[in-house]
Amino acid sequence: MTRDPIPPGTLEMLILRTLASRGELHGFQIAEAIQHASADVLQVEEGSLYPALQRMLVKGWLVGQWGRTEENRRARYYRVTALGTRELEREMAAYRRVAHAIARILQPA
Amino acid sequence: MTQYIAELLRRARLLLMRDRATRELEEEMQLHRALRADAITKSGVAQHEAEHAASRRFGNRTRIAEESRDMWGFARIDRFTQDLRYAVRRVTTRPGFALSVVAVLALGIGATTAMFSAVDAAMLRPLPFARPSELVGLGGVQVPFDPGPQARRFESSHLIELPDVNGMRDLFTSAAAYAAGGLNLDDDNNPQRIKVGVVTVDFFRTLGVMPHLGRTFDAAEGVPNGPAVAILSWELWQGQYGARDMLNHVIHLNGKPFTVVGVMPRRFSFPDQSQLWIPMSVPTTFATFESFRGFLPSRVVARLTPSVSVAAASQRMLARWEQKIAAADSAARRQYTLNGTVAELKQRGAAVALQQELVGDRKRALTVLLGATGLLLLIACANATNLLLSQAASRRREIAVREVLGATRARIIRQLLTESVILALAGTTLGLLLAPLLLSVMRSLLPNALVGVAPATVNLRVLAFAACLALVTGIAFGLWPAFGTTRRAPGEVIKAGGGHGTTGTGGRARRVLVTVELALTVMLLVGAGLMLRSFAQIMGVDRGMRTDHVGTLEIAFPNGPNQQQPRIAKYHDLLARVSAIPGVESAGLVNDLPLGTGGGIAISVDVPGAPPPKNGEPAFARYLIASGGYFRTMGIKLARGRTFTENDGNPGKPVAIISETMAKEFWPNQDPIGRTYKLNSSDTLPITVVGVVADVRERSLDSDPYSQMYFPVEAHYPSNVALVARSTLPAPVLLRHLTEAMRAVDPRQAVFHVRMMDDVVGASVASRRTNTMLIALFALVATILAALGVYAVVAYGVAQRTREFGIRAALGATGRNLVVLVSRDMLWTSFAGIGAGLVGAWLLARVIASMLYGVEMHDIATFIAVPLLLFVPTALATLIPARRTLRVNPAEVIRSD
Repeated sequence: MTRDPIPPGTLEMLILRTLASRGELHGFQIAEAIQHASADVLQVEEGSLYPALQRMLVKGWLVGQWGRTEENRRARYYRVTALGTRELEREMAAYRRVAHAIARILQPA
Repeated sequence: MTQYIAELLRRARLLLMRDRATRELEEEMQLHRALRADAITKSGVAQHEAEHAASRRFGNRTRIAEESRDMWGFARIDRFTQDLRYAVRRVTTRPGFALSVVAVLALGIGATTAMFSAVDAAMLRPLPFARPSELVGLGGVQVPFDPGPQARRFESSHLIELPDVNGMRDLFTSAAAYAAGGLNLDDDNNPQRIKVGVVTVDFFRTLGVMPHLGRTFDAAEGVPNGPAVAILSWELWQGQYGARDMLNHVIHLNGKPFTVVGVMPRRFSFPDQSQLWIPMSVPTTFATFESFRGFLPSRVVARLTPSVSVAAASQRMLARWEQKIAAADSAARRQYTLNGTVAELKQRGAAVALQQELVGDRKRALTVLLGATGLLLLIACANATNLLLSQAASRRREIAVREVLGATRARIIRQLLTESVILALAGTTLGLLLAPLLLSVMRSLLPNALVGVAPATVNLRVLAFAACLALVTGIAFGLWPAFGTTRRAPGEVIKAGGGHGTTGTGGRARRVLVTVELALTVMLLVGAGLMLRSFAQIMGVDRGMRTDHVGTLEIAFPNGPNQQQPRIAKYHDLLARVSAIPGVESAGLVNDLPLGTGGGIAISVDVPGAPPPKNGEPAFARYLIASGGYFRTMGIKLARGRTFTENDGNPGKPVAIISETMAKEFWPNQDPIGRTYKLNSSDTLPITVVGVVADVRERSLDSDPYSQMYFPVEAHYPSNVALVARSTLPAPVLLRHLTEAMRAVDPRQAVFHVRMMDDVVGASVASRRTNTMLIALFALVATILAALGVYAVVAYGVAQRTREFGIRAALGATGRNLVVLVSRDMLWTSFAGIGAGLVGAWLLARVIASMLYGVEMHDIATFIAVPLLLFVPTALATLIPARRTLRVNPAEVIRSD
């Protein structure tokens, strides 16, 4: 099975989207969710999630809250803030514009 | 906006709680891997393998943790302090290595910084006057002279004169003339010789300097026989008068009263460290020059109108000079050497930026020396690079390990650079401590005109320069090793084991550096050689006099009507007292001490039947006044005739002694004794030549003497004289006796410049000596550094190849074979370096050609001696470490693996 590497810059958008639809998740859950949602096509080097999460915490798009997993292990749960929601909308809009433009170029006339 | 502030606050919180945040991040990532491993185990993989798989999927933990922390935004500061700590640790664990690098750099940076301070003072720092860029010196412009009603009136309108310049409103807002001289400040408590600025009344206004107290000169004080007034320097006012109210008080200069009208601000001492200023009248009269032995060369400074550039002003001034020439008849052209003046102005510029004018011919010496220190700094850098390279090779393994552990290449390079910059900073700090020492040696290099105006100090600009040097050198000598060390794939390095190469990795790089070092050293050595040979030539030149064991002091007798006979009586009294001192062989008087002030006047002479002068300009001869004993005392050989007696003062029968050059110039192939000639400037009786003496180098040792004529003190009774006395007494004793003798003649008379004649000679060549000494010093340091560089490369090579030598020895190589093996490469390297250096020196010699004396710029002896000279330390530096191969014990070496 080959997996495509995730296009640069889109990781944060994927994280925001995942958290926006699924509520509070910890890091491992986010990684799993992204993979499932993409039908295992997209592959995240799992560790690269963490620098992205730290950046988004600093930017104020996410907040982190320590809690317990079902197996009673300590984990940090992330949630999207209002600022993060706005950022997601902006990025999605930008993404659609670009994707649309690329699609038009690639379509046979 | 609020978003950014909120973000900043979050970052600040992270910085404060960094340890906790780091722990949390670590825990989170740990959990992630644990959960992944669990998930994999569930699919039926063994626990142990699942953990590996989880780790692989996660990626490089260290790097990811670092990248995450980078997101907090303090990464740069953080990494920098880390690098710094790491570098300091590395540096301090190898103090020997660190010390050698720091010492090498300190030499280079100290020398360069000191030279830069000198150049900064002389050429870069603006003069401390208002809008200094508007100030220009006007060459050739004269202050009009009024010789009085009796004398023949000179029609001098053929020259551009100061009042003409003042009229050029389109070019200059104001102009002034200034001159520097010395006068006796008569004071019952503390008579002293002071430096006096003689300036026209517009001088202070032109420079844009306001007085601290009182006022500057007014127009009424700038005319002949105007009120005698003076302005004090702040320093003289403080030192001599204790800062008490001096305005409108009377002080005495050379016995004449002057009223103090002002005090200048602190540190203002232009021109030539003046302590006091008196007005120069326009036109000048004989009275202007009386107190200055008739010698008071003035310069003209003008302030440009803001819209005119220096170049434009120079061009328009030159145009006016050419108009003057066109208008003058041929007699006038000869009389005023107009063609010569204009030719010189064309070359130097009719208006020159004041700073440039003041720096004058020292500019080249300063630039050359700054270049020499630049070479030295390059050599020091090459040496430091060399040391770092040998270190880098032994660190390759450590660095490879760090790379495998997740450090990026950029990060490692940055760390290595931090280390070299730290070494450079330490070198700079030490260099800055050295710089003032070197600077104090260099002071005599600075143009005299600038000494008081722009003292050379280690100032902020110099510090900034040094800081830049530190950074640039640190990066320059660190970059190559840093890139070199990180170039190879880490796995390869670790596998190879390191330290057991056969040729020594990086050996070629280091040999290239040594080649460069040797080449630069050769260039410095050739420069030093040429300068040293010039200096030896100058010191060995026939001076026409013997300056050893001669003590001298100078006196300025009061000047005024009816002073002449008493003055002659004082000469005789003084000479009698000095001659009576036990141990004094002879004594004499002269108006201008040879090599003393560097100035004096020449007078146009009229010799009947003399061959016509070559360039059509009038014949001049140097005007000297001496007593009969002067020639014997100074060891000036009498070629023909006799010297003066005390009876030569008879005004009805004027006599002169002339120099051999003068005899040749005016009476070629004839005996001049008994011949007569006249001075052009006055209607005196014909002067009879009674003696011919050797030419004396009295302007400077490196300029050929021109025609000299001596008149007896009894006939010309100069008010300013130098006493000379030959004696075998120790210098301090002799000088004390001379001072006491003068005091016995007149206790109120100030004496100055009390010194030995050899010191006068020394002072006259001081700047050249400093110059030569510095270049020689730089060359010596360069030689030592180059030898160290050679040594380091060979020693390192030997250490690295110990195993190989052991094997070779075991296979039957003799010690001799091994030494040759090790030395051969280095010998070729030395030849290449020395050869390249000789070519470079041959091309660069032109730069110092004008500073040489009596030596060709491509002096063969120097170009042969230098390589031989440099070859000795190079060969030693090669052979000493190479001999270590002899101590290699093959059995030991092979067993140790």
